[in-house]
Amino acid sequence: MTPDLQADGGSGREFGLSRRPRQIAGRIVTFDNEGFLWTVDDWSEDLAAALAVEAGLPGLDETQWRVLHFLRQYYHENGRSPLNRALAAGTEMPLLRLETLFPGGIKQGARRLAGLPNPKTCM
Amino acid sequence: MTESPSATPDGAACRIGGPPDKLVYLDNAATSFPKPRSCLEGMIETYARLGVSPGRGSYDLSEEASALVDDTRRRLAAFFDAPDPERVVFAANATDALNLAIQGMVRSGGHVVSTRLEHNSVLRPLWHLRQNGGIELDLVPFDRQGLVDPADVARAIRSDTALVVVSHASQVLGTVQPVAEIAAACAERGVPLLVDAAQSAGHVPVLLHAWGLSAIAFTGHKALLGPSGSGGLVVSPEAEIVTTRFGGTGIESASLTHTQSYPHRLEAGTLNLLGIIGLAEGLSYVQAHDMAASQRREMALVRRLRAGLAALPGVVVYSPEPRDGDVPIVTCNVGGMVAADVGAILDADYGIAVRTGLHCAPLVHQDLGTAEQGAVRFSVGHFSSDDDIARALQAMTAIAESG
Repeated sequence: MTPDLQADGGSGREFGLSRRPRQIAGRIVTFDNEGFLWTVDDWSEDLAAALAVEAGLPGLDETQWRVLHFLRQYYHENGRSPLNRALAAGTEMPLLRLETLFPGGIKQGARRLAGLPNPKTCM
Repeated sequence: MTESPSATPDGAACRIGGPPDKLVYLDNAATSFPKPRSCLEGMIETYARLGVSPGRGSYDLSEEASALVDDTRRRLAAFFDAPDPERVVFAANATDALNLAIQGMVRSGGHVVSTRLEHNSVLRPLWHLRQNGGIELDLVPFDRQGLVDPADVARAIRSDTALVVVSHASQVLGTVQPVAEIAAACAERGVPLLVDAAQSAGHVPVLLHAWGLSAIAFTGHKALLGPSGSGGLVVSPEAEIVTTRFGGTGIESASLTHTQSYPHRLEAGTLNLLGIIGLAEGLSYVQAHDMAASQRREMALVRRLRAGLAALPGVVVYSPEPRDGDVPIVTCNVGGMVAADVGAILDADYGIAVRTGLHCAPLVHQDLGTAEQGAVRFSVGHFSSDDDIARALQAMTAIAESG
């Protein structure tokens, strides 16, 4: 018979996401089961740097910081993540280049390290 | 914001902060776009003239609106090879129609057979009944060619099977199922067959009487070129569907029991007249433009797209080689890239709209091994062109070579 249609059947707030608290950057931070911050305001530069190391980067360079700060600023000013074209315009780079800047690309890389909510897509 | 073309890491041209001038829309399996201008103008003209409650008033305009609705039922009945126009029931879309049929055809304790190709519009109502109504459910697999074997359906049918539900065309793979053969297997065992024609109606024939189907659920907003919010359920004279939504029908108003004659049996409340007008306009357009010729043209485009994608390094194409009778969909991935990222790049850098993710068909992606990554779906439509395919392949080449 069919496996469960929920992603994990957990206690997630939506889309079957579940809380996964763990220690990182010297404190306990809650993520969802896909590695996205559970609470946007838990983000800090120290946390982003630690996540970058976990992702295999030696650290974050100026361009990468500029992307993360743009994402954070946009989210706080608009209450949502930038749409595709606003993201390209705001970072002043094609998304194909942005995809290569972070391990995991745009969604699993840049957005996750910027601490933005897990996108509400059908994934 | 820079508007001039920029260079991607591999040197392919794209734009920063905005796509090229013309959107390449390759998400027609979700919603066909744009709609024919004549259909939109026809909708406005007719609704401006007749936008009252059909069959609810004692004035001529209401009767004229009712006649338009009845005429649309007759035309849809002919289109779907259904003998009784009164058994054409309007609904909001295919999902709505499938809910009407599934919940009206399955009783608690019954057994249902469906397939792993299904959209959530079938899976979720069945899952709900399984969790809450105590039905038993068996899902038949699909093979490497994206096809369900009618013999597998026949083997899954039990003595207490109340219903078989099958999607006519896969919205992930584009494969059209052997519905007539499945219907024959069901008929031999006396089990009704409900067909989800969301992806097929308007592309290929869907024939209730000739194939021996019990009911067809369809939507207006895909290949029938109608507006969102239009669709319906076409029911055979032999099918038994009980009422699961209740309310005003415009007739037998003194009774507190919902009207049991068709189409009112499965319709409650004022109809979506604007949607029905748009559905009629879309149907006229499809028929006037030779549905078979349009399908051949669109399949030629999708064949070219699939061949080009399959030749790219790192691109995995999941849709099998299209057959003549399939629908124009091709689904793929680029290496390990998250499908949503590919879609975002296509949109922002190249002005190409596609659908990414699980396409509301989680079991198909489980079986393809793409449940985590999702996949990128290109779906060709009536207004797709050779240039659209060329641009899509150019963009996908740049993305594939960047990996």
